[in-house]
Amino acid sequence: MSDSSCSSCNAVFPIRSLFDLNGRTYCEKCVHTAAENARTSGLPSAVAPLVEKSICARCNSYMGSDSAPAQIGGLHFCSACAPHIKDVDYPQWLKLGLAALVVLLFVALIHGRKYFHAGRELYIGEHFVEQAKYADAIPHLAETLKIAPNSDKAALLAAKAALLSGDLRTADSALHGHRNGYFDDANDPQFKEVNGLWTRATAAMDKAERAGKLEEQEGQEVAAAKLMHEAAAEYPQMPDLALAAEMYDGGVEFARANYDGYLALGEKVWARQQDAYAAAVLSSGLACKYAVTGDGAYRLRANEMLETARRLAESNPEIMKNLSEYFPRIEHRLSTRQIITKQEYDRRFAKSGGSSK
Amino acid sequence: MFFIPGPLIAALTFPGVIIHEAGHLFFCRLFRLQVFDVCFFRFGNPAGYVIHQQTRNFTAQFFVSMGPFFANTLLCVLFCSAAFLPVWELKIVDPLAYFFYWLGLSIGMHAFPSTTDLSHLWEQAPGLAKQGNPLAILSLPLAGLLVVLNYGRVIWADLGYGILVGVLGPIALFKLLVR
Repeated sequence: MSDSSCSSCNAVFPIRSLFDLNGRTYCEKCVHTAAENARTSGLPSAVAPLVEKSICARCNSYMGSDSAPAQIGGLHFCSACAPHIKDVDYPQWLKLGLAALVVLLFVALIHGRKYFHAGRELYIGEHFVEQAKYADAIPHLAETLKIAPNSDKAALLAAKAALLSGDLRTADSALHGHRNGYFDDANDPQFKEVNGLWTRATAAMDKAERAGKLEEQEGQEVAAAKLMHEAAAEYPQMPDLALAAEMYDGGVEFARANYDGYLALGEKVWARQQDAYAAAVLSSGLACKYAVTGDGAYRLRANEMLETARRLAESNPEIMKNLSEYFPRIEHRLSTRQIITKQEYDRRFAKSGGSSK
Repeated sequence: MFFIPGPLIAALTFPGVIIHEAGHLFFCRLFRLQVFDVCFFRFGNPAGYVIHQQTRNFTAQFFVSMGPFFANTLLCVLFCSAAFLPVWELKIVDPLAYFFYWLGLSIGMHAFPSTTDLSHLWEQAPGLAKQGNPLAILSLPLAGLLVVLNYGRVIWADLGYGILVGVLGPIALFKLLVR
């Protein structure tokens, strides 16, 4: 390797031991002082081994003995490479390639539009679930499932939102309509949570069904109310169960001939949920009070509530069917001032069905 | 642990290499620096390079060195965003989405600037940062982190970065849009 001299002390050293600072060559001893001076003068103080300046920037060959090295734009090139160095512009294929990339990006974004919509609905639904706004989340997650029925995440979120808002039917369709109830990861915490909720909700519904059957039997009012309270406690997210439990409590009061308690519960249920069932129960309680007191005010209000119950039930044939036996029984109580059980009423008038007192 | 040769990885992810070098070329031409030689892709190490005129203009140096990092990262997020939802969240089998995901990850994987790019930046950044140059202040921690990540390439830090950007980028983007 060639030697060269230090521009400061003029001593000659091998190139590999020399340094370059701002285009000047220094030995190891002088380069520190030169760098310090450059720094205080505000000049660049970066020091590089001179040997780097002896390496061709294109082919990496050593240029120590090269007779015609070239320096272009601060870079050093050997004589073989120097003629090939030119100012490079964008090649045609690159321009076309980048144009194709832009087109691809548009295609990707346009192609992904329906996914963006489904994803947006998914994230909005997830956001609502995180904020415990379960009922608000359901329509968004249902929209996601229309486009992506195989999405485990969307199905589990929809089921969770439905279960925690007491909508068992939607939860059932989200879980069992999803790849026939198959989920990829049974150990996923979200899956475990939803599975736990589902088990709890179905157990509660089973108890509610058994309570309903008990309530139809004479003398089983207390057991029916107890079972319904258990169901309501097991699945508090379904307010209908708590309401049914209170109605069953009313049944217990009716069986005990405590019509004040029966009426008070009817008022309470009606205040909480103004539907056909609550109106009918309140009407029944008022009819009982009319039967035992003969006070026309009770009769008047009982009739009003009966009309309200009929009006509210009109739009729903299932509710109307459930209450079809109850309405004439209340009317019978109001016209005769006799309080008889459902079983006695059925015996007298040879009817069956329904379960209210 | 199995060994996959670098040239094979580069071949599988060649769009990223081309876009990275095209980024260097773009910023060189933007700042009117002469470009002496360009290799957009080759089976070698490095898989691509741009040899250009050196400059004392730190802004030019910053963008020439870091421009491809930002461009590749942005393109990775965009392409992966188009593919992330069907592939990860919606479980929709869509070959086009998988193609876009490959493209996005390939681009993201080649975002890192080389140590040579970073060393040019590192030469001037400390002095200029002391003078309050915002680009120099930004480049100091960024370049430091990228130097470490560059060494991490032996343990697939570049692939990890691509996946991180390709997954977390779209999630962050979508969550931001939903808020």
